Amino acid sequence: MSHAAGGVHILPYSRVVGQDELKLALELNHVVPRIGGVLMAGSRGTAKSTLVRAFALMAHGELPVTLPINATDDRVLGGWELDALIRGEARPQQGLLEDAALSGMLYIDEVNLLEDHLINVILDVVSTGVLSVQREGLATAKHLAFGLVGTMNPEEGGLRPQLLDRFGLMVAAEHLDVDARQRLIRTVLDFEEELAVAGSEWLAVAERDDAAIRARLEEARQRVRHIPVPDTVVRLCAQAAERMDAVGQRGEIVATLAARALAAREGADLVEPRHLQRVLPMALRHRRPESSFEWGFEDEDRVKDLFETV
Amino acid sequence: MVTPPPRDAPPPQGSRAPEPDEPVLRLTRLLACSAIEPRLAGVLLFDLEPHLIDPVAHLFAELLGITGPPLMLGAQTRDEDLWTRTRLRQDGGQVSVSTGPGPLIEADGRDGPPQLVVVPELTRLSVAGMRAAVQLLGSDVAVVEHTGLRHIARPRARWLAVCGSAEAAQLSPHLLDRFALRVPMAELRGARPRRLLTAVPALRHATEHIAPVSVSNDALGRVRTLLGPEAGIRRELALARLARTLAALDGDRAAEARHADEAARLIGLPGVAAPKTRALERGPSSGSSGRPGAGDRPDTDRDVPGAGREAEERPGGPGRPLEGPGPEEQVGADPAVVRDTPFPEDAVSVLRDFAPLRNLWQRTMGPAAARGAVVGSRRAEDLRDLAYVPTVREAAVHQRVRQTARFTVTPADLRSHLRAGASERLLVLLLDHTCRDAAWDWTHALTPFLQWAYTGRAAAQVIEVGGADAADELKAQSFSARNVLDPRVLTALERPAGRATPLAHGVHEAGRVLRAAFRQHGNALVEAWLVVVTDGRGNVPLTVSQSGRLAGQVGAEGVEDALGAAERIGAMDRTRVRTAVVDPAREPYGDLPFRLAAALGATVVTGRPAPETDDTGEPGER
Repeated sequence: MSHAAGGVHILPYSRVVGQDELKLALELNHVVPRIGGVLMAGSRGTAKSTLVRAFALMAHGELPVTLPINATDDRVLGGWELDALIRGEARPQQGLLEDAALSGMLYIDEVNLLEDHLINVILDVVSTGVLSVQREGLATAKHLAFGLVGTMNPEEGGLRPQLLDRFGLMVAAEHLDVDARQRLIRTVLDFEEELAVAGSEWLAVAERDDAAIRARLEEARQRVRHIPVPDTVVRLCAQAAERMDAVGQRGEIVATLAARALAAREGADLVEPRHLQRVLPMALRHRRPESSFEWGFEDEDRVKDLFETV
Repeated sequence: MVTPPPRDAPPPQGSRAPEPDEPVLRLTRLLACSAIEPRLAGVLLFDLEPHLIDPVAHLFAELLGITGPPLMLGAQTRDEDLWTRTRLRQDGGQVSVSTGPGPLIEADGRDGPPQLVVVPELTRLSVAGMRAAVQLLGSDVAVVEHTGLRHIARPRARWLAVCGSAEAAQLSPHLLDRFALRVPMAELRGARPRRLLTAVPALRHATEHIAPVSVSNDALGRVRTLLGPEAGIRRELALARLARTLAALDGDRAAEARHADEAARLIGLPGVAAPKTRALERGPSSGSSGRPGAGDRPDTDRDVPGAGREAEERPGGPGRPLEGPGPEEQVGADPAVVRDTPFPEDAVSVLRDFAPLRNLWQRTMGPAAARGAVVGSRRAEDLRDLAYVPTVREAAVHQRVRQTARFTVTPADLRSHLRAGASERLLVLLLDHTCRDAAWDWTHALTPFLQWAYTGRAAAQVIEVGGADAADELKAQSFSARNVLDPRVLTALERPAGRATPLAHGVHEAGRVLRAAFRQHGNALVEAWLVVVTDGRGNVPLTVSQSGRLAGQVGAEGVEDALGAAERIGAMDRTRVRTAVVDPAREPYGDLPFRLAAALGATVVTGRPAPETDDTGEPGER
């Protein structure tokens, strides 16, 4: 059921209209968590946050571990339970980063508005894989691993390249055409009205569709490790990254992992060049110098011949 | 502090409260919709008279069934005031502390009325307050992770914010977009506050009998037509939800196109005709006793021949006013242009602060760090600027652990104030409009100073001399701005020239501003620039400007007075005041700017580029 505690109602994942690129990135990251997360950029009102929450509810049955923009460092790193401390009991309170390691994902809403000191903390943990806390009487060091999923509105400012690079894939919210807009608004209004209907068939069908997607993704997760990546695809990836001036090697690694995840999601037995071509923009667009995150026809043309000759 | 009035009892059967005028009806009906529908939680009123904020808040509180005071947010609002509430209790001989959800979220997940949040001036709201609005308004879920508190629930608070339409474009579109109901309310000016409450009993009665309502495809199509193809999804959804809520309020089973029209009319969307028949005349329907607003008095401004045909056509675009643009020379925000639209930021283009929802990225830890407004506390690094209450609270937490006989404060408990960044720099711009001519644009000469002010987050003071539309042409005009992005600065730079040049008064005013700034900010003001753009010719003596009386020949008295005032500025602290005179290179008295610069101790900047030479080697025309 796409409901959460506290009277929270999220549109079912299977009913989110459009945004196929965003959905694909989230699903690939779910099939292969080593991809390292997804960054979604888009202007206001493009259902970015709704999509992430709907996906988490569909895939895990609960809302994602969320780092809000005004989080304090004691909640991020962990600390002591205040009320217990008053009673003379020292009871540690787990921080969000540890919670995220348990669920495998940390969702940062409005990631470009996050305070710099928190970004630094997250970068430290994600890059070293170790959360070391030496503060307020705490002395701990734990190995943590989780993927970052973030949303941002570029109108409100950008992100440091170091943090950009930590997101495995980056996608831009698509501009909906008139038909899609109409379907989206109709769906949202229908959902709101169905919430008031006892035993709603609309919600039941949506839940069944969510379950089907979940089952398909779980199957892909099981299959993905058995899908080989031919050397030709690996070489193609390296050539494409070179042509696109991608900074570092993380983009190539992520692109290969994402192509493999896509093959698993499609039920293919082998990673093919078309899988790589599909995920290339997601893996490389934010790893180019002076990038505006655009991936237009010119960029397609730069790598097109590589895939035509295979 | 706003306190709701006692609730009115429902009107006796068969009686009807006096019908208020149209803007009042619109407002009450909109607030009722927001009270009913949590997805319409944000109400933003443009150009509401300040003295009406309190009664409107009363009205909203009454419709929500709130008995306590609303939560007021302003420039001083901190995260600590919003998200958590720490309570200290004396329990026998012990002090105990408990932390729970703060005022903004404490009603979430509970029965009873929601919280009412009032923002009297949205443009002055602190970054913490703006971020709270972005996080909560229109969100499916509010996640709070703050000082030991974890809170995940659906936000219920209703927001009532007020903003000048001319200033709306300075705000983050991200923030504006979160307010579902945005309404121009300048026409409420003449309303008497008490009349706002006359419709409450009927509306409260109507809101208690709400049935689920669907939205027809006709209504959705009408919404799209009304808003135009460029409107964002949120605007379309908000209008559709408002239409649905209006239908529910009227007891209809489905929202139709006419409900979309009424929704558009309620939020003041331009080009929507008033209904041809008064809804009240259709007779009462179930659950809509009184139905205020549905039978609005026709708007006299829009009740014109052809209005019905206009309703069939899409207006000129989202938020585009029907009136033509303002005068061409008007560069900054023009209230006449942006009024009467719920989306004034679409109609006005002004410079907006970069990343307005981020806290200041540039701060020095010098003297100013101990002078800004208190925005929180932090662990103390020295004994300056200690915050006593947070210190005691911190110490209270550790008392049981320490097991000392008396309440003990250790150095580790000490907390100091965390202060907002205060301006450490000031740009004083003295603009003599009469020194310009058609061939010279002074913007290029001023750009380096404006860039310095922007990157240094400097406050700005603009002094104008000889402007065409000056209230008193014998006096200099002056205004202070938070920074150079203030639209008034751009307007001043483009203002056409008048006749008189009270330069002496302008220089005198510049000296007064600088002295006041250093007195007010003391050591916090690190650096100030005074930039004077003038040809040095002033034809108004200082005494004439100060007295407002012009008598007889003035001769060179105005120029001499300006030089005298400049010398007094030149005698100020040279380590923190820097001065420049931009020379417009006008003849025949080309030496006057240099004399003024000498008196100020200023650098002379060549304002006009060197004359171009043509093929014959002669200077070209300027």
